[in-house]
Amino acid sequence: MTRLRTILTIYRKEIVDALRDRRTLLTVLATSVLMGPLVLLAISGLVATLEANAEQREVVVAGIERAPTLVNFFERQTYTVKPAPADYEQQLRKAKLADAVVVVPTDFEAALVRGDAPIVEVVSDSANQRSQASAGRVARLLSGFSRERATLTLALRGVSPDAVEPVRLEERDLASTQTRATQITGMLPFFVLMAVLTGALNAALDTTAGERERGSLEPLLMNPAERWVLVLGKWGAVASVGMLIAVLACFSFLPGQWLLRSDTLAAMFQYGVREVMLFLVVLLPFAAAASALLMAVAIRCKTFKEAQASTTVVMLAASLLPLINVFSLGEESPWYLWVPALAQNVLMTHVLKGEAFDAAQLAAPMLVCAVLAAGGVWFVSRTLRSAAVR
Amino acid sequence: MIRIEHLAKSFTAPSGGKKFGLVRAKLRTVQAVRDVNLHAPDGQITGLLGPNGAGKTTTLRMLAGLIPADAGRMRVDEIDVGARPREALARMGVLSDARGLYPRLTARENIVYYGRLQGMARDQANARAEVLAEMFEMRALLDRRTDGFSQGERMKTALARALVHNPANIILDEPTNGLDVLATRALRESLRWLRTPAGGAKCIVFSTHIMQEVERLCDSVVVVAHGRTVATGTVPELLAQTGEEDFEEAFVKLAFVEEQSPQGVVA
Repeated sequence: MTRLRTILTIYRKEIVDALRDRRTLLTVLATSVLMGPLVLLAISGLVATLEANAEQREVVVAGIERAPTLVNFFERQTYTVKPAPADYEQQLRKAKLADAVVVVPTDFEAALVRGDAPIVEVVSDSANQRSQASAGRVARLLSGFSRERATLTLALRGVSPDAVEPVRLEERDLASTQTRATQITGMLPFFVLMAVLTGALNAALDTTAGERERGSLEPLLMNPAERWVLVLGKWGAVASVGMLIAVLACFSFLPGQWLLRSDTLAAMFQYGVREVMLFLVVLLPFAAAASALLMAVAIRCKTFKEAQASTTVVMLAASLLPLINVFSLGEESPWYLWVPALAQNVLMTHVLKGEAFDAAQLAAPMLVCAVLAAGGVWFVSRTLRSAAVR
Repeated sequence: MIRIEHLAKSFTAPSGGKKFGLVRAKLRTVQAVRDVNLHAPDGQITGLLGPNGAGKTTTLRMLAGLIPADAGRMRVDEIDVGARPREALARMGVLSDARGLYPRLTARENIVYYGRLQGMARDQANARAEVLAEMFEMRALLDRRTDGFSQGERMKTALARALVHNPANIILDEPTNGLDVLATRALRESLRWLRTPAGGAKCIVFSTHIMQEVERLCDSVVVVAHGRTVATGTVPELLAQTGEEDFEEAFVKLAFVEEQSPQGVVA
């Protein structure tokens, strides 16, 4: 009973202390909570330009004057035909030109009449992504032209057009709109994870290395409270700050979503209160574990600065581990769920894809977090006394 | 009442030398405290006098349970510190060498926090903070954040924090370090009052390396040198023992004579 009261006393003091550190708090809020929505906005801007590009019905042709038949076809498909600039190859390489260029050979019309199958080039640069996207569109348009010519020729000779197309091709995409969206919104879990870590970092350092640097750890240990009680109170406070940032970061995407400029993205990016809750189920244990881990690293350091340098390793690991999921191109191994940060990333990606995860999938990361938290608290309590006097 | 008998403590420290080489530095044993004896009765101020590095801070840290002793016994009001450190701590108010405050908390919050950790109720701790603020003349400071405090103001706050649970035993490690004349005088007055029956007849142990402090304040003196208690007694007794008129001379004789003869002056 007295222990619980002591834990609460320490918890309350550390929370007050952390909340009074206004400048740090504001920096953390600004970087971690605003960052996500801003990135979301940037992505939506990018997608919006791509969409605008796709909607422009334009074809760039080199040698228009040589192919009136082709131009006639393009115009019937409601495309605007634009002449290509003389140095189109140069411009494509430098990514100045965003459209693939159709190059018409000199004797196009004559060859067409003779039935010699003239060669039409579609020029693009695969390093120039926008021209690459329009190349596919232009190629489809050109094969439409070929098909029309063939059908006409066959019809003149009284042959059914089906004779040249014995098989019909139809594509079916299995990905749901949300799955497709994760290709773009896949970095969201990463931002949320980093927000939690940066949120907890300052409080974790202040309650350990900061306390050593100020010389307040030694007097603190001269109170008749057990060390694990002290550490538990401190850890609770640090974890709470981390969790608070997690909650704020998760909710910050809700208003961010309303600002999306691309309708398609807004439709694909389904992020509502349910998703927020699932994110939090994954993130809150992570915040608790990360706090304990950061404190365990920091308690060995004499000064705040030294601790900042040491905890960089933790931060780096937490930002690199989720990359495993990115590099594996969507194929998940079961061991992913046993790696902190990576597991959280995997589960949050599931949520964004609109897939559910069950309790069994949650069990492994929960267990890892519990072990990390307990280990961290144990280590800090063990080190506390020797840290105070040295 | 505090009793320390035959206290000893050694540390291991790297001995320098090939520190940056591949060869691991050899560990060197430093005997910080060899044989410290101290008896501090209630209602008295006992001075722990010794040169720098004599083992005063180590002794007081062991008394506060921060580091375990290698040998010897420490009792606070007949409670063994080694066996029941938390009960002993509840009966002690320690102003240690490190006296860091929480800069974002007010002086009152700093004091009440320690009161709560000592198991006091909030109101009780608050009332006690008021009383201590009156005693140390820091009423105006009470609701200011400790961030911009001067040395003296910090020291007063730290002292109030250490005494919040009204302990029967008060241990002060070089409390006048960095204090000006007025602050030192005020502190001296407070300690004298705490010694009286009206002030609670506290047992006060006071470590210092300043002669004048001891002469003016202490009822009895324990002289420590090289981790050993080399003399015990009142100031006149020590003067008589060494045959000196001046206490400083007496102290030098007691504390530094041992360098020539390891057996030292027997108390």
